[in-house]
Order: sequence, then structure tokens, then C-alpha cells
Amino acid sequence: MIVFDDVSLSFGRHELFKNISLNLRGGKVIGVTGANGAGKSTFLKLAGKIIRPDSGEVKLINDENNCALRIAHYALQFAAVAPEMKIYDNLTAQENLFFFAKLRGKTLSAEKISELGERVGLDLKTFGNVRAENFSTGMRQRLKFAILLSVDADIWLLDEPTANLDDDGREKFFREIQAAKPDKIILLATNDRAEENICDEIIKLPL
Amino acid sequence: MKLSNSRFEQIAAIVRKDFVIGLRRRATFAAMMMFALTAVASLSLSTGGIFVEAKFLAALLWVVIFFAASAGISGTFDDEAQAGTLPTLKLYADAQAILFGKMIYVLLSLVALTIFILPIFLILFDVAVENFFLLLATILLGLIGIAAAGTLTAALTTSATVKGGLFPILLFPITLPIFLPAISLTELSFTGGAFDSSSLVVMVAFDLILVTAASILYDYL
Repeated sequence: MIVFDDVSLSFGRHELFKNISLNLRGGKVIGVTGANGAGKSTFLKLAGKIIRPDSGEVKLINDENNCALRIAHYALQFAAVAPEMKIYDNLTAQENLFFFAKLRGKTLSAEKISELGERVGLDLKTFGNVRAENFSTGMRQRLKFAILLSVDADIWLLDEPTANLDDDGREKFFREIQAAKPDKIILLATNDRAEENICDEIIKLPL
Repeated sequence: MKLSNSRFEQIAAIVRKDFVIGLRRRATFAAMMMFALTAVASLSLSTGGIFVEAKFLAALLWVVIFFAASAGISGTFDDEAQAGTLPTLKLYADAQAILFGKMIYVLLSLVALTIFILPIFLILFDVAVENFFLLLATILLGLIGIAAAGTLTAALTTSATVKGGLFPILLFPITLPIFLPAISLTELSFTGGAFDSSSLVVMVAFDLILVTAASILYDYL
């Protein structure tokens, strides 16, 4: 469970969040919606401790023993697909997958790579050894998606995850989210109607 | 500063990744090597035929290493920030693993730089090394200090707008306590005089302080 405890955050004089307290539980897809500039991406970054609040605290509570996780463990629970989270252009698709999986202590076999490619709709037999700099935006998005699946994190931070995907890519993404949600906390920042439709709960941020 | 097995795996993955990208881009290695080569060649030409004291030669060697290292290290984090991969790396990897992965990569790059430039320096300045083991030990300890301080400084200056100028200005005072004994030990390795081990102890102690301080401070960046 992610706990926002009296969290406030401002950018200059603009007060984005003021004294927010809420609990985000697993087993469902939690949508974060709102107008442009409402702070959807910032909300996800706060949840992932990528940025720190001005006051208050964001904690990750272990549901089994009700203890807050230490920062070192906290970071390793997350995986994300977000526009500002880029992959390494100078590495091939396979090298990107191997690298991020290794950061989470996982070694990917050729079969696993192939399976990930099928799940996200990216032909890694053909494009596995191609550098990501040669990929289209949609292919990069699918590769980010494959990385997300490969690390098997407990919490997914998804920021407009299907923005650059075609219908087939969106369908695959939605299918994986539905399959994964019983075991995970999934936060999905979006303004897209189709993405909103797969959410079980919506947090609407005011502008 | 605790490093578990999984952290070692992360560190190894980050070092490997940085080398693969560094070798593919070549720009950073080329900048370091070309700076060192140009500096040594021009200094050698300008002092051609003149007797140069061992202390001055030792200082010249460390000045070349410092500025060549600055050219390479300053982009350690900034290249990732520019490419937009730093937030991804920070999300997927442990902070200490990132720091030590980058630090080891910088150290190995500096070792490669020194392997390249040291023989050229010794030949062009006609230096006969009397105590080669002392020279190698001094260089290694000096490079560890530069790598530790340089990696932390590179992380600090990533969000600065004038990082190119800021980096050497911040790095120099931090590494000065390493340079002073390094220059005197390098001089001794050239002349072969009896050496006082206290300079070596100072370098080891300062290396430990820099590595520990970098590890503690990085969590707060």
C-alpha cells in the first residue's frame, strides 16, 4: 500500500498539492486524471519517490507486517512507462532488456526475451539486435513495456502508456494490465478515454 | 556503505553498460585522449632541449591527468540527463549502485587514459623512472581519488546551467589534498630518492574519505 501522509508540493508560487492524505491499495488499476498541468505525472513521481514533497511523507507500507519499507527497498519495487523515462538509444533492444532486468537481479533467457516480444508485439527475433535509436516511437514504447514486464515489479507507474501505440499495441497493453493487477499496485496517469475505462478507481486532480 | 550481492550485480551491469555506450559513442574517450595528447605534445615541444626538474615534470603529469579527466568525467551523469535515461536508471537501480557503478567506470576510463598517455609522457620528456612500482601505486591512488571526487562532482553539477566551467572549479579544491602528495611521490619515483611512506598513507586515507563521503552525500542529491 502506498500512503500519502499530509503531502504538499509547490512549484514556485503555484501550489500543486496541499495536505493530501490517501492510501493507494493493490489489486486494482488506479487512474489519475485531470487537466493538463493538474499534476498527474508529478503525482506518480511523488508515489515513486522520484521527487520529494515539500512537506508530509509518502510511504510504502508492507501489507503483511504493516511496516514502512526502507528507501533502498522502496526504489526497487517500482517499474514505469512514462514519456520522460527514456531507454538507452545506443543499446540494442536486447541489451536494454538485459540491462534493466539485471538491475533487478534477473537474467533473461532467449526464450524469455522471445516471449516478452510476443506479449508486447515487438518482433525481438528481427529487431532484438537493432539499436533503439533506429526504433520508431511506438516500437520504443513497446520496448519500455517489455522492460516493465521483464522486471516483475510490485508497483507500476504508467504515465499515458499507450499514447504512441497503435490499436494492436493498446490491446496488448490493456490485456497485460488486467492480467497483472491482482498482484500489483497500478497507477495510471491519463487523459485518454480508453485508458480511463480500464481503471477500477479514478483520482481526479483539480487544476 | 553496505554493498550486498545484488548491489554488486547492479554495479557490474552499470559499468558494463557505460563501457558499451562509451565505446560506441567514442566522444568522451576521444576528448580525454586528445586533450592529454595535445597537452603533452605542446608542453614537450615548448620545453624541447631545456632541462626540466623532476618536480616540475611530476606536476605537469598530474595537471595533464586532471584536466583530461575533467573533460571526460564531467559528462558521467550529464550525458544520461541529456539523453533522458537518468530518471529511468534512478527508478530501476539502487542509488549506491549507480554511484559506485559510475565511479568504477570513471576509474577504469582514467586507467585507460593513463596507460595511453604515461608512456608518451615519459618518452617525450625523456624521463627515466627509478621506482616504477612507486609511480604505479601513486598514479592508481591518485586516480581513485579523482574518480571518487569527480563522480560526486559530476552528479552535483548535472542540473547546473554552466556545468562545463563549474565542474573543474568544484573538483580542484576537493582533489588538491590528493595532488600534493601525488606530485611529491611521482617526483620521488622519477629521481629514486628515499621516500617517506607518510605521503602514501595520506593518499590512501584521503581516497577512503572521498569514497565514503561520496557514498554518504549521494543519497541526498
